[in-house]
Amino acid sequence: MTRWFEDITIDEIFPLGTHEFTEAEIIRFGQLYDPQYFHVDPEAAKHSHFGGLVASGWHTVSVGHRRMVDALFAEEARLRGLGKEPGVSGPSPGVNRMEFKAPVRPGDRVTYTLVVTGKRASNSIPGLGLLFNTLEASNQNGELVYHAELVGFSKLRDYKMPLRLRMFLALTRLPVLGKVIAKRTG
Amino acid sequence: MNPVTASRRHYEDLAIGEVIGLGATTVTKDMIVTFAREFDPFPFHLDEEAAKASLLGGLASSGWQTAALTLRMLGDRFLNTIASMGGLGFSDLKWKKPVMVGDSISGTATVAALRRSRHHPERGIVTIDLDVRNQRGEPVMTMRLANLIELRDPSVPLLDGENP
Repeated sequence: MTRWFEDITIDEIFPLGTHEFTEAEIIRFGQLYDPQYFHVDPEAAKHSHFGGLVASGWHTVSVGHRRMVDALFAEEARLRGLGKEPGVSGPSPGVNRMEFKAPVRPGDRVTYTLVVTGKRASNSIPGLGLLFNTLEASNQNGELVYHAELVGFSKLRDYKMPLRLRMFLALTRLPVLGKVIAKRTG
Repeated sequence: MNPVTASRRHYEDLAIGEVIGLGATTVTKDMIVTFAREFDPFPFHLDEEAAKASLLGGLASSGWQTAALTLRMLGDRFLNTIASMGGLGFSDLKWKKPVMVGDSISGTATVAALRRSRHHPERGIVTIDLDVRNQRGEPVMTMRLANLIELRDPSVPLLDGENP
């Protein structure tokens, strides 16, 4: 899905759309993963410095991730519509930085935007490229909700596997012996 | 005084180096697919065959799910026992190995740093290093969290070095 590493343009802006957070979903996520009183109990939350119920930062981030995955699917469909073969992205090796800036309250509408700020070929995994993405979320008042610096993988279209690696992979596909080879070379 | 957190540990009660055991959570196929449908619907989190063909090598949890399950363990054993004021964010989150169906994750949280807020005398910041491993002891995720915590006595003046 989505674009090949070679076709990803630095500083291109991908709007990821808007999500409205309801009280019910804030509480449901909180009860499952982050049951602190200001994420699950509207009455007790009044005593917190937030002054009321707020979404777990991990909830707003998980929704942002969903928006990003949906945008990747949409881009894949767009490319296929143009008669092009889409590339392959994901999974992710990690997140360099995540800053929760403003709380998300019931009824808030959060708009997500992704920008690819850098890319390079992976040193450890042949045929994959690393993408450095900035994802920002803002509320309906234009306040920054969170700032994230994410790392993603994207496959290289023009990658040619070296002969040695191709021979090694062929050997690991042998019955019995293949498993031994794969284990020994880890 | 906040009645919800009055009896909990405050900033003054924490010490650098404290290690909190996170217990364990076993990740089922149902959990993986349910989370992925809502937050991470990549084929390799939803479908066994697609997962086998991917870099993950089999059906594995979303990294965000591993993080959310870890947060739950941290909440039960630490954040809900202190006067937490919510998270500020995190850094250096690394998904080191996929969490596969049937894997059990556990690990530790270590208090790595403590400092007071410069602008809000009633707030402290606790830095927590998380080290999450599978049942074979292999690291699956590490990260550094920053969380706000209430001071019991904000009138105590900031000492030199308390806000490095």
